[in-house]
Amino acid sequence: MKPLLKLWSLYARVSARFPAIRSIVPFIPVVVLWAVVAESGMFPRAFFPGPLEVVQSFGTLVYKGILPDYLEDSIVRLAVGTAAGMALGIPLGVLVGLNQRAHALLWPVLLFFQAIGDIAWLPILLIWFGFSLTTMTFVIVYTVLFPVVLNTALGVRSVPLELHRAARSLGASRARTVWEVMLPGALPNIMTGLRNGLGYGWRALIAAEIIVGTSGIGFLMFDARRAGSVVEILLGMIVLGLLWYMVDAWVLAPIERATGQRWGLVTR
Amino acid sequence: MKRLLLRNLSKTYFDPYAGAHVTAVQDVSLEVGQGEFVSIVGPSGCGKTTILNMIAGFIPASGGEILLDGRAVDGPGPERGVVFQSFALFPWKTVLDNVAFGPKIRGLPKAECEKIAREYLALAGLAHAAGRYPNELSGGMQQRVGVVRALANQPDVLLMDEPFASVDAQTRMTLQEELTRIWQERRPTIIFITHDVGEAVFLANRVVVLSKGRILKEIAVPLPRPRAWDLLTEDAAFKALCAQVLQLVRSA
Repeated sequence: MKPLLKLWSLYARVSARFPAIRSIVPFIPVVVLWAVVAESGMFPRAFFPGPLEVVQSFGTLVYKGILPDYLEDSIVRLAVGTAAGMALGIPLGVLVGLNQRAHALLWPVLLFFQAIGDIAWLPILLIWFGFSLTTMTFVIVYTVLFPVVLNTALGVRSVPLELHRAARSLGASRARTVWEVMLPGALPNIMTGLRNGLGYGWRALIAAEIIVGTSGIGFLMFDARRAGSVVEILLGMIVLGLLWYMVDAWVLAPIERATGQRWGLVTR
Repeated sequence: MKRLLLRNLSKTYFDPYAGAHVTAVQDVSLEVGQGEFVSIVGPSGCGKTTILNMIAGFIPASGGEILLDGRAVDGPGPERGVVFQSFALFPWKTVLDNVAFGPKIRGLPKAECEKIAREYLALAGLAHAAGRYPNELSGGMQQRVGVVRALANQPDVLLMDEPFASVDAQTRMTLQEELTRIWQERRPTIIFITHDVGEAVFLANRVVVLSKGRILKEIAVPLPRPRAWDLLTEDAAFKALCAQVLQLVRSA
């Protein structure tokens, strides 16, 4: 056990100096395994290409400008859909969380529509809006909306009563406490909602792109299937994973570090 | 003169489990003059926190009335500051912003709010902690911020609900001494809820003993100030008063 422990402490020290290592090293075994299986010739190369072929195809698609274009399309769709979903979801969540009557009236409806999954809307959306941006945006907004609403409502309800009372006895009006107490208190939960919403939204987007398909990463993958290019399908899958990893590392995690974790509302 | 008047105050709850009405506070009448320091002491369940919550306006009274400066209390308001047992600091605001919250709500300009907050932080020896977040402070320091936040809003009356019950014994003694010092300097009107007889006597000019929702007795505390635990622990008058209050509390 001793040498393993030493190795681990070396890793801990080096990765403390170069944090980027922490996001690379865990993937080394995965890539190695993939390469070994591909090289072993267990499967025909065309069905199971190795890492190098995928990197090559990445280079080609970037060079042709297809990948950057499609990536941009997918990201813009996701960003617009998420922003709209939050703009609707947070106020709705606050309303449902604060107001008993709103909760009684809206909750059953929310649960009902939550159950009709995003993809289940596609058939009727295609009839209404055709293979259009509207259809895709609708699906993403729909997907992002529910986790944000439900988590915001939960967050608002879990703010300690004392904090509300403290604000009121310092002179804050009811409306003011929504802004000063309820929203910041609910922020860790809102972040959870956003995290779930983005995750679901990302999946919904790929599904929508596969079906609606004019551009985007989902379209790229489905188009590659038609052409029988397993390399490009794999590339699409890897891009999806990487992109999520980046959204987490560069957007979500920093926000969480600066808010809930800093305030001691969430343990690190 | 601004005074707080409780007249035949009562509170009954409906207990859904027992299926019956429970009386928490019954026919309590009390007068607190400006600049007075009154402790309300009693065992848990005697209704002391319920009284405080009614004065604060957090819960409505079932009967009787609460008058501050002649006006009936209806809901929470900045003229009645509250210090909570759980501190209730805003975790997302720095110490400075917590203390500046009251003045900010009053609509004072930003620089003015900060000036007031810094002045009051200095009063509790917290100037160095202004930029920190509450979760980075010890319990004792958090409650100093809680007291100062309420004071910085210059309330007519300061309501303190077992504020030192959740800090360690040594810190508690320090906080008690600091509170008596601040009271002497600023003379806020204070109603202090506690179950600790020694604390009640040490702090107040008057101790109100509460039992089963009724006032059992009011006892004046004519001990000299400034008060310090070193001086009072062995003081005969202090010990006699504590014994008297303790007997009342235990007889309840």
